Amino acid sequence: MRVFAYDLSGVVIGSMKGYYPTFHTGPDYSEQDPEQIFITTLYVLKNILNEHIHVKKYKVASICFCAAMHSVLAVDKNGNPIGNAITWADNRAKKEAQELRNSPLGKKLYEATGTPIHPMSPLLKIAWIRNYDKERFKQTSKFLSIKSYIVHQLTGEYMVDYSIASATGLLNIHNRTWEDDALKYAGITASRLPELAPVFTAAGKLKKAYQQSLRLSAETKILIGSSDGCMATLGDGVKGEGKATITIEDSGAVRVMGSAVLKDEQMRFFNYLLTDNCYVSGGPTNNGGNIFEWFTRQFGDFTSPYDTGNSIQLLMEEASKVPLGSDGLLFLPYLLGERAPIWNANARGAYFGLNIKHERAHFIRATIEGILYEIYSIGKILGEQRSIKSLSVNGSFGVIPFCTGMIADMFNKPVRVRQQFHSVSFGTYLLSATEMGIYKSLDEAAQTVELPNVFKPNKQHHAIYADYFSIFEKLSTKLFAEFEAIGNLQEKYAVTDPSLKK
Amino acid sequence: MNQFVLQQGKSAELLLFPHILETGMKKNGALQLNTFPTTVTNGLRIYCITDGRFEWRINHQPHIFYPGDVALILPGTPLGCDNDVLGIGSFTWIQLAVQKLDNGHIQPGKWSGLSDSEAAAIGKILILNSLPVLSGFSEAGKILKCIHTELFGMEVAYQARVNYQIAELLIQLTRKMTRQTHSTRDFPKTFMHLEAVLRQDLAHQWTVEEMAAVVGMGTTLFTEKVKSYSGFSPINYLINIRISEAIKLLKRPDISVTDIALDTGFYSSQHFSTTFKKLTGYRPSEFRKNHLRNT
Repeated sequence: MRVFAYDLSGVVIGSMKGYYPTFHTGPDYSEQDPEQIFITTLYVLKNILNEHIHVKKYKVASICFCAAMHSVLAVDKNGNPIGNAITWADNRAKKEAQELRNSPLGKKLYEATGTPIHPMSPLLKIAWIRNYDKERFKQTSKFLSIKSYIVHQLTGEYMVDYSIASATGLLNIHNRTWEDDALKYAGITASRLPELAPVFTAAGKLKKAYQQSLRLSAETKILIGSSDGCMATLGDGVKGEGKATITIEDSGAVRVMGSAVLKDEQMRFFNYLLTDNCYVSGGPTNNGGNIFEWFTRQFGDFTSPYDTGNSIQLLMEEASKVPLGSDGLLFLPYLLGERAPIWNANARGAYFGLNIKHERAHFIRATIEGILYEIYSIGKILGEQRSIKSLSVNGSFGVIPFCTGMIADMFNKPVRVRQQFHSVSFGTYLLSATEMGIYKSLDEAAQTVELPNVFKPNKQHHAIYADYFSIFEKLSTKLFAEFEAIGNLQEKYAVTDPSLKK
Repeated sequence: MNQFVLQQGKSAELLLFPHILETGMKKNGALQLNTFPTTVTNGLRIYCITDGRFEWRINHQPHIFYPGDVALILPGTPLGCDNDVLGIGSFTWIQLAVQKLDNGHIQPGKWSGLSDSEAAAIGKILILNSLPVLSGFSEAGKILKCIHTELFGMEVAYQARVNYQIAELLIQLTRKMTRQTHSTRDFPKTFMHLEAVLRQDLAHQWTVEEMAAVVGMGTTLFTEKVKSYSGFSPINYLINIRISEAIKLLKRPDISVTDIALDTGFYSSQHFSTTFKKLTGYRPSEFRKNHLRNT
C-alpha cells in the first residue's frame, strides 16, 4: 500500500509505502491478512504525517481511499474478520465461474452488473464460501471489501463506494442497486453487504483514538473514494471522447471512460461505475510486467544479488539491437492464463516461429513484443466500439521508454506518459479536490491533466507489427484444445512432494 | 591417508578437543551386509563424500550422495541405509558436541571463537533449513582433511588451528545452506520465505543478523533490500507482524494479555502495551474490550 500527500494545488508533498504479504495457502488461493493491512495502513499513515505533514505545519483536509477491486472479507456481527481477505487474484471458484459464464444466467448477470463472469468476481467468491465454507458463511454478518474494512476500522461505518461495488458482480450498474439475481446466486440478501455510497462520501468521523495517535482533527474527512482502475483512468485525464489509457504494472489493462457502457456478446469487457452516468470500461490482462520479470529472473544477468531493475535495463538494451518484429519470433505471454480478450484460464505461453538464425536477444525482444501485442489485442477490440485517437500509458512496465515507443508503433497512435507521480494517486487527488470544490466536476478536473511527454508512432514500424500481430492473434485462439491438454498434463504430473524434486 | 577412526574417550588425539566426539575417514571397497546400521546420536554429524556413490536415509528419507556432496545430520536424527549396506566409495566425517538450549535450539560451544550471537544464529539456521544434502560443496572435505592433518601432525598451535577450522566448517556450511535454499534473483520469493520463518517463531527475539542469515544475506544488503521492498526496516516489519498477530489473539477471549505479549515476541506486557498503543491508539486491554463488546 502507498500513501501520497498532496497539497491543494496537486503537488506531491511526500509519499511512503508499506508491504504486506499475499498468502497462497492452496492452489488458486490468494489471501491477505486484514489486520496486517490495517496495521500497515496506520503505520505508513503515521510515518508520513510525522515526517512530511505535522513538521511542516500542514493541516490535513481529507484522507481519500483507493483500493484494488474484487476483494472479499467476511466479518462477524462484531466486525471481526472471519479468516483472511480473498484478493482479486484468487481463482478458487474457477469451476463455478466457467459454468456460470456458459449459462443464460451468466449472460444476464454480465449485462446487469458489468463485471465479467470470472473467479475474480466477489459474486463467485461469496457463492464459493456458501458452498464450501459453510461455517464461515453462517457466521458472516457482512461481506466487505478490504477498503470497506479499513474504513470501518477508522470510523465505525460500513460503506462501499459505487466503483468498488460495481466490480463485485452484485451491483446493477444501470440502476445502481444490488442486483436481485446476483444476490440470489450468491445466496445472500442486501443486508449482508455494506451501504452503497457515491465516491465523494465522507464515511463518518475518525475515531477518537486515531485522532489522538495520528494527531488529526475531528474534522478530517475520511472519503471512501474509488478503485485503482477508475483512478488510473481519471488520473490520466481520460474523461471524454477519443481517449484511452493503458496500465501495465505486474498485470495490465486498457480502459476508456464514457457515459455509455460497452456491450459485448462475448462478455470480454468490464464496465465499472465511477459516478452517475460515468463508466470506466475496458479489458484486463493477467500477463504484464510480471512476465518480463519472470523472463529476467530466468535469463537475465545479475551483477549484484536481487538487482532486478538493473538486469531488466540490460535486457532492454540488448533487445533494442534486434530488428522490430524480432525477425519473426512470436511470443504468447499467457504464463498465468488469460483474461481479456480470450478469457481462457487454461492458456499457456509459447514461442513461435523459431529458426536457426534466432539468438538470445531475439527471445528478449519477442517477449516484450508478445506482452505488448496482448495489450494491443485488447485495444483493438475496444477500438471496434470507441474511436480512440490518443493514448496514455501508466504503470511501471508501460512507462519504460522502450515499451512506450513500441505501444505507439503498434497502435499507430500518439502516446502520452505521466512523468511524475503515479496516475492512481493523482486520480485520487482529483477526486478529493473535486469534493472540496476546487474543481466543479470530475470532467473539469480531468481536463486539467497535462501529459506533455509524447511518443509519436512510426508508420513503417506499425506496418511490420501489424503483419506479425495478425499471426499472433490467430495463435491466441487456435491453440485452445492444446492449451487445455497441456494444462491437464501439467496438473497430472505436478510433483507436490518437494523431496522428489530434483 | 588410510582409513581411521578417532573417538572421544578412546583416542589420545582428541584429549584437547572434548567437543569432537568422533572423526575419521572410511574407504569402502565392497558391498557388505550390516556394515552401516541406522544410528542416532546427540552430536552434529557432518559427512563429506570424496569418492563413489552412497544411498543413505536421513530421517528415513532416501538421499543419494556423490563426490563433493555433504550430508548434515542434526542431533537426534537417524542416519542409515537400506539393508544396512554402506555403498562403495570413501568419505570423511566429524561428529561435534553441540549445546542444546532449553528452546530446542542448538549452539556451538565456547571453543568455537564465535560470538554468542553468531553462534546462536548458526544454530538457528542449521535447525531452520534442515537441509540434509549440500551438493557441490567439496570445500567442506578440504577443511575436514586439514583438521585431520593437524590432529595427527600436532605442530605448534595445532589446538587453535583445529578449533579455528571447525568454526570455519560451520560457517561455510551455514552460508552454503542459506545460499542453496535461495536464488539471488527473486527477492519477493526470498522475502516470502523470511516472512513465513518469522511467523513460525514470533516469540523468538530476532536480531537483524539472524533474519539476514535466514535468507543468506549480509546485514547491510539485507536491510537495504527489505527497506526498499517493504517500506520498513527489518525490525519495524517484524513489529508489524507481531502487532497484527496480537490483534487476532486479542479478539479471542481465552488468552491473557501477558501471554499474547510473550507469544508475539514482546519481552514484557509493558513493552507490548506501549508499542501497541503507539501504533493503534489503544492499549491492548481497551482494544480487547471494544472488540468483545457484543459477545
